[in-house]
Amino acid sequence: MEENTIQATLEASDDLSNRFLTFGIDGAIYGISLTNVLEIIGIQDITSVPNVPQHVKGLINLRGKVVPVIDTRLKMGKPERDYDDLTCIVVIDIQDMHIGLIVDKVEEVISVDLEHAAVPPRTGIQEKQFLSSVVEHGNHTVLNIDLEKFMADDLRQY
Amino acid sequence: MSTVDSGMDSLFEAFIYETTSLLDQLDEIMLDSEKQKSLSEDNINEIFRIMHTTKGSAAMMGFNEISSLAHSVEDVFFLIREDPKRLDLVVDTLFDLVFQASDFLRQEIESIQNNGSDYAPADPTDLINKLEEQVAVMKGETPEAAPAAETTAPAAATSAEADKPSEDAKVQTAIPAGDDVVQIRVFFADDSQMENIRAFMLMTQLKDHCDFLDSDPEHPETDSSLCESIIKNGFVVILKPTYSLDDVIKVVENTSSIKSYEVLNSSDNAGEKNAEKSTAPAGKTSAGNSAQTPAAPAKPNVQSTGSSGKGVKQSLISVNQSKLDHLMDLVGELVTAESMVSSNKDLVGLKLDNFTKSFRELRKLTDELQDVVMSIRMVPLTGNFQKMNRIVRDMSKKLKKEVDLVTIGGDTEVDKTISDALTDPLMHMIRNSMDHAIETPEERVALGKPETGKVTLSARNVGGEILIDVADDGRGLDTEKIMEKARKNGILTKPENEYTDKEIFHLIMLPGFSTNENVTEYSGRGVGMDVVRKNVENVGGSISIHSETNKGTTFTLKIPLTLAIMDVMDVSLGTTTFSIPITSIKQSFKLTDDGQIMHNTDGTDMIMLRGECYPIIHLYEYFNIPTEVTDLKDGIVIQVESGSDVACIFADELLGEQQVVVKPFPPFFNKYNLKNSGLSGCTILGNGSISLILDIRSLLSSER
Repeated sequence: MEENTIQATLEASDDLSNRFLTFGIDGAIYGISLTNVLEIIGIQDITSVPNVPQHVKGLINLRGKVVPVIDTRLKMGKPERDYDDLTCIVVIDIQDMHIGLIVDKVEEVISVDLEHAAVPPRTGIQEKQFLSSVVEHGNHTVLNIDLEKFMADDLRQY
Repeated sequence: MSTVDSGMDSLFEAFIYETTSLLDQLDEIMLDSEKQKSLSEDNINEIFRIMHTTKGSAAMMGFNEISSLAHSVEDVFFLIREDPKRLDLVVDTLFDLVFQASDFLRQEIESIQNNGSDYAPADPTDLINKLEEQVAVMKGETPEAAPAAETTAPAAATSAEADKPSEDAKVQTAIPAGDDVVQIRVFFADDSQMENIRAFMLMTQLKDHCDFLDSDPEHPETDSSLCESIIKNGFVVILKPTYSLDDVIKVVENTSSIKSYEVLNSSDNAGEKNAEKSTAPAGKTSAGNSAQTPAAPAKPNVQSTGSSGKGVKQSLISVNQSKLDHLMDLVGELVTAESMVSSNKDLVGLKLDNFTKSFRELRKLTDELQDVVMSIRMVPLTGNFQKMNRIVRDMSKKLKKEVDLVTIGGDTEVDKTISDALTDPLMHMIRNSMDHAIETPEERVALGKPETGKVTLSARNVGGEILIDVADDGRGLDTEKIMEKARKNGILTKPENEYTDKEIFHLIMLPGFSTNENVTEYSGRGVGMDVVRKNVENVGGSISIHSETNKGTTFTLKIPLTLAIMDVMDVSLGTTTFSIPITSIKQSFKLTDDGQIMHNTDGTDMIMLRGECYPIIHLYEYFNIPTEVTDLKDGIVIQVESGSDVACIFADELLGEQQVVVKPFPPFFNKYNLKNSGLSGCTILGNGSISLILDIRSLLSSER
């Protein structure tokens, strides 16, 4: 019985690695690996913190835990936009830190066949390229984000 | 017997706890004594007592290796105790040997702790042999007394070694260990306390060795009033041994706090006499009390009798730290919940006299509860400092540098969590100072410094914070070398000539930085100051460095007194809430008269209060937060102080006073150095929103 549960958990975690949560930013659809996603919450009061880069919006209270939030639009260098009913915070776990990503809207969870996914070009121009793969899903293109790369500047210790 | 019985878990913890604190005590005594190059009579007795207790409890737990090593050390000190002059013969090697023994014991304890039932004992034979050599040296000088001591000590002290099988054999022959039921009368050591529980423990120990087991009085553990009768008449165990009486006797002998025992045999009175005779020297406490040394029979008896029972721990209990942590968390939640009730929106505008009164009562109780929980968790830094003594001693010998460690303010108390978190950073820093900073004696003499280097470890309590200085009088930090190294490792983030000395010093705390080319045993593994910084930051502290070439380096650790709970005044600024620790607030007031304000040419303002002039910090400017309240007369002015610095803070509005649970900023913010820009952490308010806690000290110093 117990073994079955463990097996199921293993399979589930196995499953997660090629499943992506997709969300919309400025009309485009991005995806992040479900292994990093902890939960999705609606937008809530954010306490701003002084002396930090503009895209670091501040802190939220996630059931007693203080979690920093980042505006994904600003992080991507896109113009800021007022939050609305669809705006969500995707709480991710990366390098043992919990971080909230503010996104325009959350779309769905998709399964991706990573072996057949297109790999974005890597040239000198795209040094800051943070996409891990590009896949077609339904009638739109999903740009999968490599969170480690995307957040590299924020995760650096100094 | 080295495998660990899971049923003995609590005994186990007690053993580890007791032995560790004994070893700490031993180190302390030895370090002190080594400084004075002699051992006082008290210290000799104390070491003897420590080793005796360790031996006893280790044997009880079945750790024969520990027990026999402790026994060897005990032997040495037994001889010294008899005639302190013998110490002179072995003083050179003795201290090192005892330190080695203490290290060995520590390692064993640690491995027991880590491995539990998989614990594989290390072999102390080497050490034991060396210790025995010392015994031989001492005995060589006084051939008369020595043999007597030698024969009595092991027989009296331990059967684990079975040095004198003849004693055991005698017992066996006296009472044919057949199927007869045997009674053993046990007397516990004077002052050993809780005799009834000890009796019960003995019973538990014996259970596995007997087919039948009963006692008089029965069920001693249920009634503490039985203690007196146990002291007076002894505790009689009625048993039928599974294997042999010998086996049972061994268990009894190995149980701590037993002064003496006698084997009674109801069916055979002759056996009783024999047994009494043979067991007398085998009793734990009668070391040195044999016929050959009638001169001082009483003294050793008293001393070693008190050995396992005496001590300061009687009114103390050891508590699992995770329980304390949980308690602390709960109290924190309770305080937040209380704030949620008191500032509940539903209560706004209601006149609730009775409610307010009851609530005040509740607040008083939670305050008290908090204070108690807090004080439970406070420990002095002495323990940490003590460990450093040991490191300095060992390293001085290895590196052939002479270094004195001066410790000041060891009685400063900090939260247990913080104290634990500080051990590693302090150790690293002391090692660094010893290894990199302090020069060799020759170099020091050439530089005109005293030959002996000095490392100072000082702690002091400054307004809700602990400052710990680790200072050396060594060569100081070499800015050029640091820059070179930083360049090589590619950790520079701006043009080199823009770096100030202070910033250069701080480079050494970045990951992957280590100034010493040679990796030594003690430092320079490339994990050094960055780990130190991380550890300190984890408990909400910060490090600053001050260094002068050839004068020395001082690392100052700024540590919060406790991680926990603070009284704060909340102020609003635009949409943000800030909390100011009440301890730093002198007064707050609404400005009515512009005349008090002076405008400097550089755009800053000053205020005149009772003839004194103070700077005004406009929080909205300082933190760059948009607000509508920019005129000094519209907002609130709060006069704050930190040490001798006083300034006035200008904010929008006072929101009220409350208690908050301090939370450090998530590690995500570490690199933005919020601690040096006037923020010490954040907290969750009663309404669920987050407020930023102002750090007045850094606010005032960065303002300057």
